[in-house]
Amino acid sequence: MATTLLLLTIAIPWVGGLIVWLVGNKHASLQHRIAVAFALLAGGAGVALIPYSSSQIVVNLPLGSVFGDFTFVADGLGVFLTVVATVIGSLAVIFSVDYMHGEDQLGRYYAMVLFFIGAMSGLVLTSNMLLVFFFWEITALCSYALISFHNDDPKAVAGGIKALIITQIGGVGLLAGALLLFAVTGSMDFNALIANPALMPAKWLGIMAFGFLIAAAAKSAQFPFQTWLPDAMEAPTPISALIHAATMVNAGVYLMARFYPAFKDVPGWTTAVLLVGMITALMAAIMALVSNDLKRVLAYSTVSQLGYMFYAIGAGGIYASQFHLFSHSIFKALLFLGAGAVIHSVGTRDMRQMGGLGKQMPLVRAVFIIGGLALAGIPILNGFWSKEMVLEAGLAHAPIWTYIVMLVGAGITALYTFRCIWMVFYGQPQSEKHVHDAGPAMKVALIPLAFATLTSWLLAGSFGKLLGPETLPSHGIEISSLGEVIHEVLSLPTLIALIVIALGLAAWWWRGKLTGLSNALKGIGKAAADSFGFEAINRGIVKGTQSAAEALRATQTGLLNWNIFGIIAGLIIVLAVVIFGG
Amino acid sequence: MNISIPVVASLIILGLLGIGLYALLAVRNLIKIIIALQIMVKGVLVAFILAGRLQGDMATAQSMALVVIVADTIVAVVGLALAVQIRRHTGKLDTTALTTLRR
Repeated sequence: MATTLLLLTIAIPWVGGLIVWLVGNKHASLQHRIAVAFALLAGGAGVALIPYSSSQIVVNLPLGSVFGDFTFVADGLGVFLTVVATVIGSLAVIFSVDYMHGEDQLGRYYAMVLFFIGAMSGLVLTSNMLLVFFFWEITALCSYALISFHNDDPKAVAGGIKALIITQIGGVGLLAGALLLFAVTGSMDFNALIANPALMPAKWLGIMAFGFLIAAAAKSAQFPFQTWLPDAMEAPTPISALIHAATMVNAGVYLMARFYPAFKDVPGWTTAVLLVGMITALMAAIMALVSNDLKRVLAYSTVSQLGYMFYAIGAGGIYASQFHLFSHSIFKALLFLGAGAVIHSVGTRDMRQMGGLGKQMPLVRAVFIIGGLALAGIPILNGFWSKEMVLEAGLAHAPIWTYIVMLVGAGITALYTFRCIWMVFYGQPQSEKHVHDAGPAMKVALIPLAFATLTSWLLAGSFGKLLGPETLPSHGIEISSLGEVIHEVLSLPTLIALIVIALGLAAWWWRGKLTGLSNALKGIGKAAADSFGFEAINRGIVKGTQSAAEALRATQTGLLNWNIFGIIAGLIIVLAVVIFGG
Repeated sequence: MNISIPVVASLIILGLLGIGLYALLAVRNLIKIIIALQIMVKGVLVAFILAGRLQGDMATAQSMALVVIVADTIVAVVGLALAVQIRRHTGKLDTTALTTLRR
């Protein structure tokens, strides 16, 4: 029963995706219904897996003697992320019914979304490194296809290709680690390595650890790979909510958390994760402050919050990072879907052309403010509890200056969140266009998310049990009740953090009086608007690759004999290495 | 050096592979290229049989050789079909006519 359920969680969305595609684009309303039905079914299957997480179901699909079995393990971490993927996935699909109304090629859209949901569940449930790599790449391809969904828009196509290339660079790191695991331990199953890191000699483990860090940083848009996520905002907004806020970008955090017990003794690894998270959190927060595109602000805030999760893992706070992931998935999906409702009715993403929308869209304003307060870390929303847990983990196990940087980041988060809310919903309307309220399917998707943003922190205790020693013996997560979390959060450092957040809020309130300060910081703002030079670096790399390709064009004569010569020369070199290289 | 069967077989293998390789590198006619491939494959077949004899496992070697013969036939057929199409398309059987992707 439980094993069937586990496989169904992956299979249902894939079957649904195939059916939606086969139904054909002439039956749009049928496609909407099928997609919603299969997404909800997958969500139900994901939630039904929760009770089985402590019994450690293992499903083996025998696949011959070379790579070993394809193993799926329903442990706490995997089940948790499956639930996030399938439940938020179904809400995003429901939202799409209104958002994508009247679009052509819905089959392609829903097929990719459902295919993504299944692949994401597979990625977190399997314990076979080869399968992890496959699912990792499938999510990247779905992400690419959905960013470029409007494939007549050059910006969307460019954004998709950029996301694909950068995540592929990370994929190389993951593949290298997977092959090392297989070469050294003779098995693709990583649970043995997590239970006993001594299986791999230190030098190979080090290469694997940093390869995985590159993979995770590229997938989760961390420094120095953060540039793809803002450009991915060309995707339809439900996609941004699902893939680029709530699930796929969490795959990197998942990878780091999953392998933390194996890698934590690799010299320099935890420090590297900590610093990657810290730099990203601060840098992305500053960029969010100067952006005028509603979705880009949210994208930068996603990058920044993912930085908080990396920081927590670097500080050893696996529970804090996963709890923040949990809260962030909910409130960021809420913010994105709210933003989608706004963009759908206003027809632009530029916040300078919005303003005063609160009167026409009271429900969207209410849920957006709830999400914004959670993002800023205001009590008692879920973002407050999880962000404080992250900061506590940093204070306890990381250098104090990194904690201070993260505090500043929290203040800036509050500042840009309120700037965003103000520019969209308050002030004078900037355009004469008539604005219509969100559609019914949009509301159906928004209200549960808003409710969960208000209340999901109450689950902190059961969440701790879900990730507890019963299902993840190597991770050492001991929190088992809500009381412990409350006790840990209600302390002096939290008060300091709240003061910093209040300062960020105050800075936006009295922005008129702080012109001197903002003028002084204009240089930083200008640098942030240019993404601190990372776009220039990207352009340089692209240019270098193109000119190298031009230069190497001379070797491509197109002559068959020349190509055969190349093949044979390569064969001789390989043979020589095999024979004489030892 | 006394002349035994393995030595003769080795010489045949090297000869066939060498002739085929030389032809692949030097010849530009598509039909001749396919013939060169066939010559090389025949060398490989002899190599399989020799390996089977040296290992004392003739059955495996022969079955492998049979598989290669079948695969090789398909390669020849597809290659010749391509050659016909290229001839119709470009009017030539010369591989230099196939460099149109080059800028």
